Amino acid sequence: MSKSSLSDTGATMVAPGAPTHQRARRRSKRLKAWFPYLLVAPAVLYLMLITLYPGVYAVIQSFHQVKFGPWQPVGLANYARLFQDHQFWGAIWNTLVIGSFSLVLQCVLALAVAFYAYRDPWVKGWRIIFLVPMLFMPSAVAFIYKLSFLDARVFADLLMRVGLIDGNIAYQSSIWMSRGILILADVWQWTPFLFIIFVAALQGQDEEVEEAARLDGASWYAIFWNISLPMMKPVIAVALILRAIDITTMFTNVFIITKGGPAFGTETISYFIYRTGFKFFDFGYASSASVVMLVITVIVAQLVVKRAFISARS
Amino acid sequence: MASQRKNSRGESLLLRYAILGAWALFCLAPVLWFLSIGLRPRTEIITPQPIYWPSFSLDAWHMIWEDWPMAKYLRNSVAAIFGSVIIDLVLAIPAAYSLARYTYRGRDDIGFYILSTRMMAPAIVAIPIFFLFRNVGLLDTVWALMLVYAAINLSFVTWIIRSYMLDIPKELEDAARTDGAGDLRILWEIIIPAILPGIITASVIAMIFAINEFLFTLLIASTPKAYTMSVALANFTGGSDGLIYNAIALVAFLAFVPVFLVVVAIQKHLSRGLTMGAVKG
Repeated sequence: MSKSSLSDTGATMVAPGAPTHQRARRRSKRLKAWFPYLLVAPAVLYLMLITLYPGVYAVIQSFHQVKFGPWQPVGLANYARLFQDHQFWGAIWNTLVIGSFSLVLQCVLALAVAFYAYRDPWVKGWRIIFLVPMLFMPSAVAFIYKLSFLDARVFADLLMRVGLIDGNIAYQSSIWMSRGILILADVWQWTPFLFIIFVAALQGQDEEVEEAARLDGASWYAIFWNISLPMMKPVIAVALILRAIDITTMFTNVFIITKGGPAFGTETISYFIYRTGFKFFDFGYASSASVVMLVITVIVAQLVVKRAFISARS
Repeated sequence: MASQRKNSRGESLLLRYAILGAWALFCLAPVLWFLSIGLRPRTEIITPQPIYWPSFSLDAWHMIWEDWPMAKYLRNSVAAIFGSVIIDLVLAIPAAYSLARYTYRGRDDIGFYILSTRMMAPAIVAIPIFFLFRNVGLLDTVWALMLVYAAINLSFVTWIIRSYMLDIPKELEDAARTDGAGDLRILWEIIIPAILPGIITASVIAMIFAINEFLFTLLIASTPKAYTMSVALANFTGGSDGLIYNAIALVAFLAFVPVFLVVVAIQKHLSRGLTMGAVKG
């Protein structure tokens, strides 16, 4: 058997002309079929290392009690505890409340400012000015707001000077005012992100359609509502999704400005995971929260993000 | 003339400039005030009454270089950021080429998988990644930061570059192919020079996100050995004296100025980059 197969290969190797050629070509064809996979593989493997590996790790860890000592298998105990944990549900609620207020405000403001800016002859200059907040490190922005609201109380002082309030404001004792500071900091820093995208979309629209509508007597507001806005829908969807991803993972501002307080009223999901894992070293429990978030992320990605990105391209 | 005619109906210039001016004030007032914090003595920051016209002082400037290893934080930041951008480009350019130029089974799913990693909340993967780096002994090193920043930005960079590649006319490649050039040579000699603006845009955006990164850096750089500017900021405290805001403000501007200059230079491409190519600005 082995002898004959050996001699077979020997024969083909020695035989000149057509057969070798064909085989080589077949091999290069097979290589060609694999070539695109080879190109994309390193990136995919690298990303798996930071998504798939941690995902599996978190799932396994979530079935264990991991506190200082060795891992103790505890079955579903972490999840049972998680679903009864008011702080966990509170963190989800806070994330949704802070996130949706912040997202809606940013979107409306960015659309309004873009509407007034895109036809202006100095739109390039406005764009540079409006971009500035986005280019500060988020940790620096958090300190700007911590200082002006809490430590130096500039905001309250300014309100007092115009006579809107007398005395100080105790933000830290009010859940809604603390949330308000987080929302304001996010709106201030990230409205520019949406603005830049919206202005580009408005500038990219078909000028002839605009012109025709204007000659028919349509006002700029009517054109914006009836022509520009429907045209921008896919772009708005993509921009809002990107923003929503970052808002729902909000951490830096919470960490620096409110530390989740008062009464856990500003604790976001990211801060909850950080606090249980890296403050209480209850890693198994924190991992169960991570897994729940992971499942939600995957579902939302499949249902919403995929559709939005595909429709933005076509 | 054109702009005058445009404004003849429906909208007054006064309202437009009132709104744009108000927004500019909203954007810039906190920045200017924070700059004034960086240039005043520490005794004039947290006072019973806020001081709006402080005395000028370079205390903070001397402090950040003399009391803290600021040069080292800067070096850490620069090394981690540039290293991560290089890793990203090496991985993303072939991947983007594959996604943009070939048809094969599973291509769209692979593309979407790459995109979807952008959705991972850092907090979700933070714990496993913390243990991963601890087990391989990379905790508290610039190398770990570099690898993490590269991973965070890879999806962005790949999709931006892919979008620019899709714009290149196929004829350009076909001409080279009939001349006998192989796929890799076409990528290197034709595609990459043609999409250079896209590569630069992607690199700048990756750089910004890397500078901004906070949570991973906080966890991985557990001692000042591997601090970057972003996390070093949060540690400018004088013990019982509390936060040293003028130092924080100056470091914030130190990071801001280069980012601002680079972004102004690529302004035209920014909207396209920020949406991963979904908007062609």
